Amino acid sequence: MADFPHDPSLPNTNSQSFPTDESTRKRKISITAQHPLFPRHRLGSTSKVDGRRPSLTSTILTDFSKEGGIDSPASGRQRSASPDIIAPLPRRHLLSSHQSRLWLSEEQNSNGPPSPTSSRGVSPTSVTFTSSRSQNGLDTISRRLISKRSLGSLLNATPPVSPRLGQATLDSAARSAIKQGQKTKMKHVGDHLNHEEGLGRRFIRWAHKRGLKEWISVGILIVGVLIRLCIGIGSYSGERTPPMFGDYEAQRHWMELTIHLPPRDWYTYDLQYWGLDYPPLTAYVSWLCGKAGSWIEPTWFALKTSRGIESTGSKLYLRLTVVICDLLVYVPALHLFKTSWLGTRSKRTQELAFLTLMFQPALLLIDFGHFQYNSVMLGFTILAVDFFATGQDEIGAIFFALSLGFKQMALYYAPAIGTYLLAKCILLGPVAGLRLFIRLALTTSLAFVVLFLPFLPPFAPLTTILHPITRIFPFARGLFEDKVANFWCASNVLFKWKNWASPSFLVKTSTAFTLLGFLPGTIVMLRTGWKLKTNKGTNTESKPKSNIEPEPTPILPLLPYTLLNSSMSFFLFSFQVHEKTILLPLMPITLLLSGAAQDSSIFALGALVTNTAVFSMWPLLKRDGLGAQYVALLLLWNRVIGHNPLRFPIQNLVQFISINVYLAGITLHLLEMVVTPPERYPDLFAVLNVLISTPIFVLTWLWSIKGCVEVGWAIGGLGGSEKPAGFSHRERTLSGL
Amino acid sequence: MTTASTAAAPQKSDVLDNPTSTTKDTGGPTSQWTLLPSEWDILLFSTALKILLFPAYRSTDFEVHRNWLAITHSLPLSKWYFDTTSQWTLDYPPFFAYFEKLLSIPAYFIDPKIVDLNNSNYDAWSVIAYQRSTVILTELVLGAALIKFVRGAADPAMQRCISASMFLHPGFLIVDHIHFQYNGFMFGIMLWSILMARNGHKLASGILFATLLNLKHLYMYLAPAYFIYLLRSFCLSPSGKLQIKNFLALANAVIAVFIASFGPFIAMGQIPQLLSRLFPFTRGLNHAYWAPNAWALVTTMDRILLRFVQKMALDVPINSDGVASSSRGLVGDTIFAVIPNVKPIHTFTITIGLQSAILVKLWSRPTYKSFLTALTLCGYTSFLFGWHVHEKAILMVLVPLSLLAAERQAYFRTFVIASVAGVFSLFPLLFTPAESIIEVVYSIGWLIFTYLPISKRVYEFPQSFFYVLLDIVERIYLFGFIFLQLFVTLFPLVASRWKGGNTDPTASMEFLPLMVTSVYCAIGLVWAYIRLIFVYIHDETTYQGQLSVIQ
Repeated sequence: MADFPHDPSLPNTNSQSFPTDESTRKRKISITAQHPLFPRHRLGSTSKVDGRRPSLTSTILTDFSKEGGIDSPASGRQRSASPDIIAPLPRRHLLSSHQSRLWLSEEQNSNGPPSPTSSRGVSPTSVTFTSSRSQNGLDTISRRLISKRSLGSLLNATPPVSPRLGQATLDSAARSAIKQGQKTKMKHVGDHLNHEEGLGRRFIRWAHKRGLKEWISVGILIVGVLIRLCIGIGSYSGERTPPMFGDYEAQRHWMELTIHLPPRDWYTYDLQYWGLDYPPLTAYVSWLCGKAGSWIEPTWFALKTSRGIESTGSKLYLRLTVVICDLLVYVPALHLFKTSWLGTRSKRTQELAFLTLMFQPALLLIDFGHFQYNSVMLGFTILAVDFFATGQDEIGAIFFALSLGFKQMALYYAPAIGTYLLAKCILLGPVAGLRLFIRLALTTSLAFVVLFLPFLPPFAPLTTILHPITRIFPFARGLFEDKVANFWCASNVLFKWKNWASPSFLVKTSTAFTLLGFLPGTIVMLRTGWKLKTNKGTNTESKPKSNIEPEPTPILPLLPYTLLNSSMSFFLFSFQVHEKTILLPLMPITLLLSGAAQDSSIFALGALVTNTAVFSMWPLLKRDGLGAQYVALLLLWNRVIGHNPLRFPIQNLVQFISINVYLAGITLHLLEMVVTPPERYPDLFAVLNVLISTPIFVLTWLWSIKGCVEVGWAIGGLGGSEKPAGFSHRERTLSGL
Repeated sequence: MTTASTAAAPQKSDVLDNPTSTTKDTGGPTSQWTLLPSEWDILLFSTALKILLFPAYRSTDFEVHRNWLAITHSLPLSKWYFDTTSQWTLDYPPFFAYFEKLLSIPAYFIDPKIVDLNNSNYDAWSVIAYQRSTVILTELVLGAALIKFVRGAADPAMQRCISASMFLHPGFLIVDHIHFQYNGFMFGIMLWSILMARNGHKLASGILFATLLNLKHLYMYLAPAYFIYLLRSFCLSPSGKLQIKNFLALANAVIAVFIASFGPFIAMGQIPQLLSRLFPFTRGLNHAYWAPNAWALVTTMDRILLRFVQKMALDVPINSDGVASSSRGLVGDTIFAVIPNVKPIHTFTITIGLQSAILVKLWSRPTYKSFLTALTLCGYTSFLFGWHVHEKAILMVLVPLSLLAAERQAYFRTFVIASVAGVFSLFPLLFTPAESIIEVVYSIGWLIFTYLPISKRVYEFPQSFFYVLLDIVERIYLFGFIFLQLFVTLFPLVASRWKGGNTDPTASMEFLPLMVTSVYCAIGLVWAYIRLIFVYIHDETTYQGQLSVIQ
């Protein structure tokens, strides 16, 4: 329950007493009356009240219009200018309806044009309130994040909007914003009529209406934990399959070996039986979990004798460690995400985003069903991204190092994160940029040194460091394992790569393809940084070093797209990919999806990719005995976000593709139930699965490039144009809302 | 769209407060079955959750029901109540047997081994998925009844909260979807019958209740309230004159239902055998785990008195069987050491006595709301004072009580105390740790989202110092459950650490968490019962100010 804890003007809706509620409401009216809702005031405002109140009221305004299907700017314009209602309406029951109707009088009070705002249209300028930062800890971070609220609007930079930029540059920023606002509103009204909202949105609206908005996050958390625990009741990777078992046993075995052996033996102990092949942070976490578990019941992690142990207690304990790790890393990361990236958005949107991210079905199935700790790695990366959003690049870099130190898979993000930081250094100009570069280099190296400390002298001989390194990066395995929905496996149907080329050649080719795959994103990022640097040169030098918060990095909106581009190209083209790896590209696209409007293409594509990703993991889940969980989670998540491809007439290409993919998927599942695959092709269904999924992933990869380029243009302008960066950035934000 | 958006502003608030009041609830019969998106949400969410619980722990009741599927499928009707192949013999009334017969038909096509009589403890995925799915599907009866409650309600928004809270009741989740039973289905029929009473279709209400009795005879606990209510408000005119047409219609309908159920067995002359299956009078006062009722309190008092007597060496006659019984903890028959023993006739007398007091009130005021309260109290009395009551029977109190929750603060507080204590008393039903955590987390979530919206609607300030004090004590009691849960969770861990030295004390301590749970819940349930009786006997008009607008 993070947000706005110090804002006195927020109504205390939890109050159970009539008088308090009434008086709060009156105070609220008076405050907003002094600050009419009008964009001119907001753009330049820096005071806390100015910056915040209108945004909140406008939020209420749009949310009402969205939900009630009653209010639209068009109708607002037709209405007479004289206020119909000045005093709040009499209520049937004071406690049940907490939301003030102040927007009713609000709209008439500001005699300007009909409200140009939408919930997305909150001030694009950086609203900084200079309250003294006295407290420390998370609260300070939270408030720092809140102060950087302009970033959130950038996240919603939907590509379909971007092409209109040319026209938008001709108009004034405000006018384009009005148009955009109207369009979004109209669409939302239409949405309501089609009942196109999800469970999440309806739940949040209900809770707000019932005065439970403080409890929404608690509720989401409780339900999230509940769902995680319920998935955990099912089976896991390698349940009751001696002698090797599966990922569950691997994780348990690591706990066993780390608590019984000195660190220098961790990476060399009995490599045939689930030797440790994750970076040291996993080993440390395993050590901690193992220690705590041994305290409860020593037999769970006894050396050698505990292999394959599957008692009720040990199973529950291991399941709980995943849930607790998730709660300690992933959930705080999401919380910071909604306050940093989505800081300017309405509270409802933030809560919805939190809900969407909490219930990402692919992650839930793999972590709590199959049994892994991916949410920790993803959580650290999201934390890194959160801190980049607040400008605390060093902390972000440390978190990314932790992510890498937990699971080497985070390398998929490294090109994006690396170029982002590099671009930021370029952007800051030669002096400040170099300073930042050195700071980043130092902190990152230090973080890695600390992570690998037990394997370095003086704690161990120098050669020890080679053990984890060789274990973490195994180049001895094949091009791909099992059937994975990537380029190599899909094309293997036509070209038998393994017969056709030598393994070393394949390694080189796959590396080259991967490089080519993420090149667009990185190039755009660096180019944008370069472009903005030349424009920004005078600005940065003249700016005095003070305690005023710096402007948010303009290249930030590129980051999610670059992350997607980079991780997807790794997934599609790199060497030795596993089905589960799709979780990495899914993370940035879920971040993008979480704040997107229901009718945006990000939303449609994000939902499609998530469903396809879960579908692509079906062979794995089937092997683990997680069929029921697969069905239940897909059902739940699509309901939560309100994804319904069966909306006719078909409106766009993505929807058309979605329908076809879902039909193909369902047909495949039905066939699998009744038909046994022929002897010659035992993997027939897995291959068909790959063939259905891969095109979607390729499409997403192409889309991510498109997104990178468009956002890059939007931020840095088209090649050769000499627009001032700040202006372009602001305008893009406005039009993108 | 445009017309809607240009609608007058004041109407907005109403629409927003209560989005369905104008559209759905005044709609004709055709629109009564169109589910709102939010209702779909609840259905889908709960279904997804229940599907996730497929692999959860299941009690022997699962095998009991599988065996009944097998009996009804593979044996002729005449052998249903005689079969003893498995120890889980058929001991539900005939309608339930027919219901099982119906379920066994698709089961045979899905996996013939499910209905194989000699295939006991079959636990393939097919049987688990099938039986669990039948629970989910038959629970739709409950969902349908609850939807119908919303449709004609005076305050649909509030009724929707209550309906949702009942559909998502942790009791159903624990007992039906984890432990395994078909309570959702049967409570659906019960609610349907109550709904008919609300809507004035008293004949239908009576028929549905007769059907319910033939599905599970446990609902006999509620029969007195039905009998009095239907007699007074349907068979007699307000002035007390017998309405012969109504009376005959009701009597014939009920008899017809019983004939449809028992007819084949009457024809075969199997009634004595059937009744001996339905009413096995060979059980003890308390169930293995004490249901949190009055007898749990009495038994505890006996145990305390025994200790006291032994310590002080008083000259009080002590029943030696009772001493042995007390040292056995909770297992087996309960025999008191100090207090005179309780026989079935005692429990029967107390139950009937208390019920008649309630029924006299119902006779004098046979309105729907009065009926609902009396019904709750009838079930409640039987639960608290009945012979060999199972803790699952608390649902019979909690479900009708939920319908009263939003009436007044007085009812609501009773509902909260009874629900918290009642649901908590169901926790020991699941003893596997993973399911225990789930039930606790789920119940907390359920409580938050049931308590807050209704509380915001019905809250009233305590009117006098006494009520303030009462309010505080009740709050303390409710917060005590947090510590009780901590105790129950941590006690086994601590006890196992002690085990090193002496094993004797821990052996008798093993039952301590169960006993403490039972007694603590019993206190709350007995208190909620007293509250409800008080509120009922002294109409709410004299209890706390004037009636709320919600009738």
